[in-house]
Amino acid sequence: MRIEKCWFCSSAVYPGHGIQFVRNDAKIFRFCRSKCHKNFKMKRNPRKVKWTKAYRRLHGKDMTQDSTFEFERRRNRPERYDRNVTENTLKAIKTIDKVRSRRESKHIERRKKGKKGQQMREAVKELEQSISLVKAPAILREDPSLTLPKIMVKVSQAQESQRMEE
Amino acid sequence: MGGKCPHRHVKKRRYSHKTARRTQFLLKGADMVYDALKKPDEERKPLPLDEDLPGMGQYYCLHCDRYFANVSVRDEHFKTKRHRKKVKEMLGPAPHTQLDADLASGMGMPDNGPKLS
Repeated sequence: MRIEKCWFCSSAVYPGHGIQFVRNDAKIFRFCRSKCHKNFKMKRNPRKVKWTKAYRRLHGKDMTQDSTFEFERRRNRPERYDRNVTENTLKAIKTIDKVRSRRESKHIERRKKGKKGQQMREAVKELEQSISLVKAPAILREDPSLTLPKIMVKVSQAQESQRMEE
Repeated sequence: MGGKCPHRHVKKRRYSHKTARRTQFLLKGADMVYDALKKPDEERKPLPLDEDLPGMGQYYCLHCDRYFANVSVRDEHFKTKRHRKKVKEMLGPAPHTQLDADLASGMGMPDNGPKLS
């Protein structure tokens, strides 16, 4: 028994579930549900559909590089049955799953942190630049106390000449 | 079932029912087109004569999987927005495959075992 992965959304396709499409060049496309099948028929690109795993991986929403991804693989060779190996594997699955879910939640936490800093920076920028939304520019010109003092920026001569060359 | 879709000015896209969209299903998938384009020019076979196709099947666009009646129509097609969009798409990364789907779901590369000599 094999638990396949959906072509579109990369979720697990258990036996007896979903639908399978075999193209006339013998390529197999498996879909976990009609939603994915319909999206395929509409010729949508899974990399551009936001709810798929492919999109989330590509855009850094999910963890991409991790050692726990090395365990689950498509093994295209027969394995001789061994009771001990099976038992150990079943035990390992649980621990590996725990480790992975913890790392994934950590990844999401880290991702959220970056957002906060970005929002802060945007807010500071808005405070600096968008005073005209609160006070009309004409009033600001009359009363300079409302705006931030102008900062002198030194521009070196070397930079200036370089720009001229370009 | 299926009726007329609003705001469809192109006749081909005007109806939502299956018979009207039949030609869309016959189009090659993006990955097939990509593979065909990757082939070097020497490997490409000359287009076979087919009297059922427009222009005896001699004027073909690889990107859009379409046959044209003559050279001028085909060259006109090369200038269209849809064709250029396809060309741009095919220049980018390879289309999504089952392997990509597997990797995205947290699987490693396939394990084929030791190489048999």
